[in-house]
Amino acid sequence: MTQSSSWRQFKAILRKDLVMELRTKEMVTSMGLYALLTMVVYQIALAEAGDNFDVRLVMPGLIWVAFIFMSMLGLNRSFVHEQDQGCIDALLLSPVDRPVIFFAKFAGNLLFLLVVEFLSLPVFSFLFLQGREGFGNPIWLVAVVLFGASVGISGVGTLLATMTVNTKGKDVMLSVLFVPLMYPLLRAAVGATFAAVIGGPGTVETFWAFMMWVAGYDVIMVLAAYGLYEFVVGV
Amino acid sequence: MGENARSDNTVEVRGLTRAFGVRKALNDVSFDLPGGAFLSIFGPNGAGKTTLVKVLTTLLNPSSGTARVCGFDVVTEAVELRHRIGLISHNPLLYQDLTAEENLLFFAEMYGLDDPKARVRELLVDVELDHRRLDVVRTFSRGMLQRLSIARALLHRPDVLFLDEPYSGLDPHAVEILDGLIAQIRGDHTFVMISHDLDKGLELCSHALIIANGKVVLFEDRDDIDVEQFRETYRATVGTGVA
Repeated sequence: MTQSSSWRQFKAILRKDLVMELRTKEMVTSMGLYALLTMVVYQIALAEAGDNFDVRLVMPGLIWVAFIFMSMLGLNRSFVHEQDQGCIDALLLSPVDRPVIFFAKFAGNLLFLLVVEFLSLPVFSFLFLQGREGFGNPIWLVAVVLFGASVGISGVGTLLATMTVNTKGKDVMLSVLFVPLMYPLLRAAVGATFAAVIGGPGTVETFWAFMMWVAGYDVIMVLAAYGLYEFVVGV
Repeated sequence: MGENARSDNTVEVRGLTRAFGVRKALNDVSFDLPGGAFLSIFGPNGAGKTTLVKVLTTLLNPSSGTARVCGFDVVTEAVELRHRIGLISHNPLLYQDLTAEENLLFFAEMYGLDDPKARVRELLVDVELDHRRLDVVRTFSRGMLQRLSIARALLHRPDVLFLDEPYSGLDPHAVEILDGLIAQIRGDHTFVMISHDLDKGLELCSHALIIANGKVVLFEDRDDIDVEQFRETYRATVGTGVA
């Protein structure tokens, strides 16, 4: 398998996933709707908190709870097309190195997740920060943490979605495996988002310290997922 | 194309066993199939026919034993082997939300074909689906899906074609097209077909294999088969139940 043919296969799988998603809009719609509904529920839950309550104190946690559960919904759907009509067999029957499949599915999941996250953020800000104090640090710091954490979510999620796609009760199985593995990333992402949102002296340094944590998690988990993928699909 | 298929023993299976937990779906299966042969595999439901084809097509690893197809080991040389084999299943193995042309172009890219568009067009004409090439596969009838599935399996000009109950649910016109395509490419390919239809399987085959409880009950050259005796053996194995 030459490098160029692997690149061609990577592009083919990614393009196929993009075309199918653009046609069906299953993943982005279900994730987007989930994110929107979660925000509405948050707004109701915080309705009686009063004007003196600084919503920014809980905003990072609320954002990441919504995004973690939203990503599980999307990841569960990401292999539905492959399972449908046995397409996964045709894909595995082609002379493609299994890590190429992993990276292509990972890239697709990352892209869909980022699209929904970046569309959700302005809605979140509108619902919770309207008429209140805004972000304490430049908003691009929030974009950095969204991207960094989404890499880890997509990497681990792609591996787990492949593992659980043929299991009974795959939705529950994915959640049971996904949430504990996400704990370190979630902790760091909430910390970094908090530092970006609150602002003030020393928060930028705190932000980058948490981002190092996120980056370390991404590297370790994506490499582990890459290494395990052949084993996971090669029963 | 077909160089390996014409050499002796395109398929070599030695002591092949595949277990799922404690249950052995394949139990010490051995046989050789010469190049250019057409093997029909018969057996009751759960006998191990599909597991055998999945191992030979690299979709499942054996628990023990070895299998070589076109001279390539199904475990250690799986990537090389995948260039030489094709699979037509009762499942179409096609993406429902892509068009016929998009499906074939995707698999053409996966196999690294030099001129994917020309090959795809040629095959769509062969399976009489050129006029529906821009339609999403979800709108296709069962017969059309199977014809497109045949085109997908033939894209990379495989030496060995595996057919897992390919006639299942086909209308007479689709059966005619599938028969025609098999007849057209038969000289250049080795075929391994799972069938529940004794008449069809025996009509097409050069070799026949009956499998039950994961074991080979009978493996014979078609010329040596006494059809009545073969039917009796088959009926007896169907009664033995699943593995």
